[in-house]
This record gives sequence, C-alpha cells and structure tokens, in this order.
Amino acid sequence: MNRSLVILLGALVLGATLLGGSYAVSRHVCERCMAKSVSDLDWLQQEFHLSDAEMARIQKLHEGYLPKCAEMCAKIAAKKTELEAALNGSTNVNAVAQQKLAELAALRAQCQAQMLQHFTEVSQTMPPEPGRRYLAEMQRLTLGLHEQTEASMSGSMDHEHHQP
Amino acid sequence: MNQENINPDPEDTKLGTLLRASRVGPALPPRFQEGVWRRIEEAEEPIQSTDSIAWLDKLAALVLHPRFALTTATVLIVAGALLGVREGSQMVKQDAQARYLAAVAPHSLH
Repeated sequence: MNRSLVILLGALVLGATLLGGSYAVSRHVCERCMAKSVSDLDWLQQEFHLSDAEMARIQKLHEGYLPKCAEMCAKIAAKKTELEAALNGSTNVNAVAQQKLAELAALRAQCQAQMLQHFTEVSQTMPPEPGRRYLAEMQRLTLGLHEQTEASMSGSMDHEHHQP
Repeated sequence: MNQENINPDPEDTKLGTLLRASRVGPALPPRFQEGVWRRIEEAEEPIQSTDSIAWLDKLAALVLHPRFALTTATVLIVAGALLGVREGSQMVKQDAQARYLAAVAPHSLH
C-alpha cells in the first residue's frame, strides 16, 4: 500500500509541477513578447481592430491633445498648491480657501470636458461600431470612478439617515 | 523427551476426560452475543482496506504505464501553456489600456 501511495502522490506532485511550470513559463514569455512594442496607442489598435490609416488620424489627434492635457494638468497642480497655501495654518475653511476650491473644481470640470471632447473626436475617427464601443468604454473608465465614489458616499449617507 | 510423555498412560487419559467432564463451565458474561457480533464486524474491516489497497495498486500501475504517463504529461503541459498565454495576453492588454488611460486622462486615475 505504501509503495502505491508514494507513486500516486509523486505523480500528483509531478503533474502539478508540470501544469504550474508550463503556465508560469508561457505567461512570462507571452508578456515579454507582447509588451515589446507597446506604445500609448497600441491598445486602441488591438482592442478596436483599427487600420493604419485610422491609427494615423488618431495619432494626429492624440498628439494635438497631449499638450492641452499637460497644460490643464499644470493649471490644476498650481491651483492645488494655492488651495494648500490657503488652508495652511487655518482652523476653518476661510473665504480664500473656498474661492480656491471653486476654481479648482472649475478647472477639473474644464479638463474633463476637454477630455470628453477628445474621446468624441477619436470615436468619430473610428468606424461606427468600434467608435461607439470606444466612447462608452472611455466614459466608463474616466467618469465611472467618480460615479462609484459618489454612489458609495450616497449609500453611506442613506445608511446614516436610517439610523435612529 | 522421555517415552512417557509421547505415549501417555491410558488410565491417565481416562482420568483427564473425567476431570474435564466434571468441570462446570463459567456462565456467559452479560451482552456476550452482542460482543461476538461486534468482533465479527471488526474482523471484516481489514477486508475493505484490502479492497482499497487493490484499487490503489491498480491506479499506481496505470500511472506508471508509459503511454498513460506521456499522455497525461502532454495534456498538463498544453493546458498550462494555454492558460499562461491567456492570462499573459490579458495582463498585457490591461497594461496597455492603463498606459493609454494614463496618457489621455491622468486626472481620472487620481
């Protein structure tokens, strides 16, 4: 009995090693091979099966959008610094801090609108079906995070209201 | 050994028979029958484990069979490789998506 049991346990260990080993090796090789030529826009071509001409138009839009995005990021970062300075040492939210918060929110809204405008332009460059799918996916990815946060916050607020 | 032990006296044999017949056997202990059945059931258990030994032996013999071992090893390697490629391509796709998102919507990530 002992001998048979040892053989079976050994076979089980060997089988698990073969399965795990081939899984790890193939995953590693796959990741290395596929990640070789990845640029920012490769995902679009792979996911939405775009032609070279479509990719060239998107590349142009992308290059035009990036400086505007960077400029908006710089403005938001500067406004955040101003807000931190206004809040620094203060024990309450003073008028200046409130003003900075409003300006920061306005900048973020402007940034979001610009981003959505870019997504719309890119989606219009694609064939109709992939374009719709791209726009929906980008809205889900960029606006969904805020919606999730807001939904969780409102959920916790409701929960608090129900408490006696 | 002496001759007396090999061929006992017939008188002694008769005496021994008489003595055994005159001896009164002790009364059976309480729940004797139940105890007997329990012992019989316990005695049957090793038969079951013998069956499982035979089953293990057969399985071990099958595992050691070259054709079976080779086929199983091939199936496991191919299955592992397919799973790895699937998982790897999924990871690369997620990374590429995150890279694109970080380029076009850096503030959405924070």
